[in-house]
Amino acid sequence: MIEDAINMLSNTLTTMTPLVLAGVGEIITERSGVVNIGLEGIFILSSFTAAVVTFYTGNPYYGLFIGILVGTLSGILHGFVSVYLRGDQIIAGVGYNSLAYGLSLMMMIALWQNYGQSPKVEKIPSLAIQVTEGSTIIISPITILAILIAIGVWWWLFKTSSGLKLRACGEDPRAAEAMGVNVFRTRFYATVLGATLTGIGGAYLVVGWIGQFTKFISAGRGFIALANVAFSNWNPLMAIVGGFVFGFFDALSIYLPIKLQSEFGGIFTAEANLFRTIPYVATLVIVAIIMKKIKTPRALGKPYIKE
Amino acid sequence: MSPKEIKYKLALFTRKTRLTFIIEKIRVKYVDYLTAALEIILSATVGFLIAAILLYFMGYDPYEVFSILFRYGYGNIGYLLSKSVPYIMTAMAFSIPSLAGVFNIGGESQLYVGAFVALLVTYYTVNPVLGLLAGIVAGGGLGLFISILRVYRNINEVIAAIMINWTIYFLMVYLITGIFYDPKIPHQSIQVPKSAWLGEFLSPWGRIKVSFVLAVIGALVIYYILYYTNLGYLLRVSGLSPLSARYAGYNPKKAVLYSMLLGGAMAGLGGALLIIGDVHNIDSTMSTLYGLGFTGIGIGLLGRNHPIGIIFAAIFFSGLMIGGQWVELKTGAPPQLTDTIIGIIVIALAIPYAYRMLISMIRRWRMK
Repeated sequence: MIEDAINMLSNTLTTMTPLVLAGVGEIITERSGVVNIGLEGIFILSSFTAAVVTFYTGNPYYGLFIGILVGTLSGILHGFVSVYLRGDQIIAGVGYNSLAYGLSLMMMIALWQNYGQSPKVEKIPSLAIQVTEGSTIIISPITILAILIAIGVWWWLFKTSSGLKLRACGEDPRAAEAMGVNVFRTRFYATVLGATLTGIGGAYLVVGWIGQFTKFISAGRGFIALANVAFSNWNPLMAIVGGFVFGFFDALSIYLPIKLQSEFGGIFTAEANLFRTIPYVATLVIVAIIMKKIKTPRALGKPYIKE
Repeated sequence: MSPKEIKYKLALFTRKTRLTFIIEKIRVKYVDYLTAALEIILSATVGFLIAAILLYFMGYDPYEVFSILFRYGYGNIGYLLSKSVPYIMTAMAFSIPSLAGVFNIGGESQLYVGAFVALLVTYYTVNPVLGLLAGIVAGGGLGLFISILRVYRNINEVIAAIMINWTIYFLMVYLITGIFYDPKIPHQSIQVPKSAWLGEFLSPWGRIKVSFVLAVIGALVIYYILYYTNLGYLLRVSGLSPLSARYAGYNPKKAVLYSMLLGGAMAGLGGALLIIGDVHNIDSTMSTLYGLGFTGIGIGLLGRNHPIGIIFAAIFFSGLMIGGQWVELKTGAPPQLTDTIIGIIVIALAIPYAYRMLISMIRRWRMK
């Protein structure tokens, strides 16, 4: 029993990382007044490029770097479209998701002639802490980084004047402008920064966790990260908790069938799909419970038009 | 001036103003249509241009790929139209709520349940009409569920829809592989009995599927509801300005509920039409259904959320889809090229402001 708990903790630390990174990134973006619904697309494209670069160089750190870079570039695209061109942020995000999915699959087939997944690639070594015999906590350095980033972003958003200016852009851009804040530039940088953090999460999927790119590598995680943003009430510290909660159900969906199979024998075939619905149902239920009490940034999703 | 003269002049004046008013009205509409057409053409051009650059860097000849894409994609009219059926319906599933200010990204799962329930009902009753109705009810119910979460629990409809999409996806894979599989072909679901299939008829343009005709009728019904009924007016006003809708005594919450119900019903009908009229079973990886809902979003946008526009946009996208498969056969370029083009077109469609700026820039340049 205690071993199960430790294993689940270890798995949750693995699954929560992308949710925390993307969640914190999206909190920065949304606090400035921009919605980026393309987190899913950034996960897919970053993880794909990370897999490609790691495959050809053999060095997962290069893969991580490229994944982050792709995140930044995606942020520049979304920021440009939604801030300077005043585009519809939701539509641009949906378009980006479709683009990222199409592009990654297209390149995957062109590079490896495989419709489902890429070859295995090197991973960034994880730290292993032996707790009891037969159970170790495996923790990736990126997980620690994610938690540190979340704390740092909380401090920046709520304890510094530049953080206050950013939040002002999301609450009342006109007042922020009157205060002397450049709303366009702040929102643009916030979008780029948010997408960059999401890019780390995307690269982590390959170089920190799974070790290869698959067609369904993200499988809605980008949207669970969005749910995490609402869960956290736009507070990066709570996003760590939210990442843990949502990550727990993700880990449960992987761990539970394995555990049940070894306990009772037999192999799940079709039933395995039922376990995979756990994280989505759990997310929906959790969001349904807490959603009444939250407070959205007031100018969220509305393009700022200067007079 | 005699009273007769005054009367005559007055009549002349009113007729004149009325005429100028009508001309003005036509002119405004014409400008609207022109900008819309320009936006669509520009977005498509940007999409194809970027795709051409990508193809070039991947080592394919863009000219060859595109000529195959268009020649084969739009070659077989009957196949093209039957392919467009689910796209028309999922685009409507996006566009009706979109007009009411709701973002329905759940067309994917609404189509899944419509297809699955229709399959079961026609399998057991051998009655395609019951099957179609069941599909409509199932899809509409799921759409309504999302809107209830939005209205009464304040849940962002995008998050709710995506979670439901994935839940339904895995649930369906379980049901198809675990319970309702075909004993003879295990990687397929049970099949719609042959006597319940929707057939096809001969026309000057080749064989046309009955399901396409039904889809067009569905689109026309929605067109009527949206533009000629009280309900449609409620939806459109609430979408344009929830505040003025409330002032006028309408309840914008009702608009959200009704629009999602209608949208979901359309997606469900799309799934039912696809299963009963075209493919007749679902494979265990759901490859026949996967992605239809997401592509519908792009089609709805391209058709500018108008049912008639959607029919043409769906045919256009279906051609790209069919052409994409031919491109793979002929040149080896991956068929996901089509997904990529669609993604770029959708992003380009998100920025009408940029096009309006472009138009005003051209105008200013011409004035000089």
